[in-house]
Amino acid sequence: MRIEDITGRWRGFPIAVTGALVALLLLAGILIVAQGESSYLAQEQRETHAQADILAASVAAALDFGDAAAARESVETLRVNPQIRMAAIYDRAGALVAGYAPEGTTPPGRIETTASSGADAIVSKAPVTRAGKQLGTALVAVDPQPFSTRLRRYLIVGLLVAMAALVAVILGLAQVTLGRANHELESRAAALTAANAELTHQINERAKAEEQLRQAQKMQALGQLTGGIAHDFNNLLTVIQGSADMLQRPGLAEDRRKRFADAIVEAASRAAALTSQLLAFARRQPLKPEVIDVNQMIAGMTELLDRALGERVIVETALVAEACTVEADRAQLVSAVLNIAVNARDAMPEGGTLRIATERREGEHSPMIALSVSDTGSGMDAATIERAMEPFFTTKAAGKGTGLGLSQVYGFASQSGGDLRIESTPGHGTRVTILLPGSDRASAAEQERRTVTGGDRTGSVLLVEDNEEVGEFAEALLRELGHSVVRARSGNEALEVARAARFDVVLSDVVMPGMSGLELAETLATACPALPVILTTGYSDEIARSGTGGRPVLLKPYRLDALASVIDDALRDGATAS
Amino acid sequence: MRRAALLLALGAIAAPLPAAAPARAQASEEAIKAAFLPKFVRYIALPTGSQPEAEQPYYLCVIGRDPFGATLDRAAASEAIDGHPVAVRRFANADAPAIAGCHVAFVAGANDQQTADTLAALRSQATLTITDSRWSKSRGMIHFTVAAGRVRFHIDDAAAAACGIAVSSRLLALAIDVKQRTP
Repeated sequence: MRIEDITGRWRGFPIAVTGALVALLLLAGILIVAQGESSYLAQEQRETHAQADILAASVAAALDFGDAAAARESVETLRVNPQIRMAAIYDRAGALVAGYAPEGTTPPGRIETTASSGADAIVSKAPVTRAGKQLGTALVAVDPQPFSTRLRRYLIVGLLVAMAALVAVILGLAQVTLGRANHELESRAAALTAANAELTHQINERAKAEEQLRQAQKMQALGQLTGGIAHDFNNLLTVIQGSADMLQRPGLAEDRRKRFADAIVEAASRAAALTSQLLAFARRQPLKPEVIDVNQMIAGMTELLDRALGERVIVETALVAEACTVEADRAQLVSAVLNIAVNARDAMPEGGTLRIATERREGEHSPMIALSVSDTGSGMDAATIERAMEPFFTTKAAGKGTGLGLSQVYGFASQSGGDLRIESTPGHGTRVTILLPGSDRASAAEQERRTVTGGDRTGSVLLVEDNEEVGEFAEALLRELGHSVVRARSGNEALEVARAARFDVVLSDVVMPGMSGLELAETLATACPALPVILTTGYSDEIARSGTGGRPVLLKPYRLDALASVIDDALRDGATAS
Repeated sequence: MRRAALLLALGAIAAPLPAAAPARAQASEEAIKAAFLPKFVRYIALPTGSQPEAEQPYYLCVIGRDPFGATLDRAAASEAIDGHPVAVRRFANADAPAIAGCHVAFVAGANDQQTADTLAALRSQATLTITDSRWSKSRGMIHFTVAAGRVRFHIDDAAAAACGIAVSSRLLALAIDVKQRTP
């Protein structure tokens, strides 16, 4: 049973109860008054009768002996009671013997006429007897209390009853009011519950819709990305495939062969740049930090920028005099500046000024180098700024941008321990600032010089690679460089081979089924401490997580000279160590 | 007024007595006395040993001169106290041994001395004595008098108490005066 049913069924209850109570109280009051009145009259009657009896007893002897004077004396004693209006003694024959009456009147002479005396008086007659024989009659008439006096007495009862009734009425009213308020509250609570349920439902619907929207946006972004990448890759693959086809043609002139080969190399390096961009966005690319003087780097880029941005954009630089050295991945930094510059150009279709500035700022822990690129373009509103660094967010038309540019720049900056700031006002241009931790190490320009390019050392190389194509290719490259190569297809196989024969260097893939390159390197470090290990990978969670333990890393895709250089370094280090 | 009431009262008492009709004052006085005598029995309480046995009458003795005659017999016949009738006995003097059974005695000797002797003889038993005599020695416990034309009586409660007789306060209230018993 619901609470409304109960309250509904019993809603009339308080009123009925109150009414009944009040009626009961009134009835009780009337009964009390009536009972009081009747009992008062009965009491008076009894008292009067007692008086008459007493009188009768006291005059019995007087009547017996016919002593009227004695009888009168007995009657006269009643005068002290002011309520007794009249008292009289009649003899056996009904004649008055003695008696008194109010001032100015006399008692009736005969007993028969006493009935009419004093209509409102309580009259009582008692026989005067002696030995069962009636000698006469004693009569006593009493004035009852005036009705007003009695009324005053009943007034108290009436007042009490009235008060009780009032209390009952008030209680009943309060009950009714409370019930009504309760009912209203219940209905409000029910309405609130309904509203709440509706709201919850709406919230759930909205959350679902938002989730769907997000999913749709993600899919759209993914579509844009894959579309853009596929487009770029198809272009590059067209070049590579076409060039390779041309190279397979017999009797091709040497200069044309070289041109096609160069085209393949160029396209492949662009593809590599593209994948490295994707990895940077995914923040899984192992950075190769080096000490860079940002001022020098920007100075070296102006020509490139001029050419890349076109004639309508004037490039200005405002570089501080002091050295702005940072430790960062050079290629990534250059790519970042280019990325921002291209965005700036796109924001200035009618042309404008691109201003690149450097600045030293005091950071929280160390000095920061701020590299800012500002344009005079259309600018962005707050909502756009908010999402500018979001992956896949782009304001450009489909196919024109991947939406990864700024996201990649932000990933690079934060991965290098810095930050990316965007300030923009619609119509007043945009300033993008890359913050990088400053380095107190000297510029590594000279260090780079020490790189030995042409070490014509050869040695025996243990190549560990599970991928057949890459393995064959690498083996061919190594043989081409003059090294003797033994190939293993897994970490365990490599360990066996390494125990059986002596090698100068190990070149191992990192991601392999079973034992990974890193595990292999660790195992070899204990088994053959002198054997240098070079790790090679496209990307690796493990390297990003735990590093390489100081071992050189050859990033895929690699080119011949990179392979030659890293092997040479290893062989030279191995030679100097031994 | 008072006289009228008295006459009325007398009439009321005399009415049921057929012999009381004569208008002679002497006869009236005796008749009233005769009517009073049995009534006195009602208003006294004899000591326990002197009360009559069940069904036995109260003996009302007239010792000496009898001024009432048949009037007394009729008055006694109409009286009954707690189931005991009242019987009248007459004796010439107190010498008869039967006077020992008298509960109430009206004593009227030939002279005051004789009355006094009789009373002295009765003093040894619980008998309520009533006299007409005014001489102190020959006064009974109750003795009649006529005051303002009415037959009334004096009560010597002390003498009654001496014989163990209790006189009802109602009767005492009707007396002209009462010689109080010594507490």
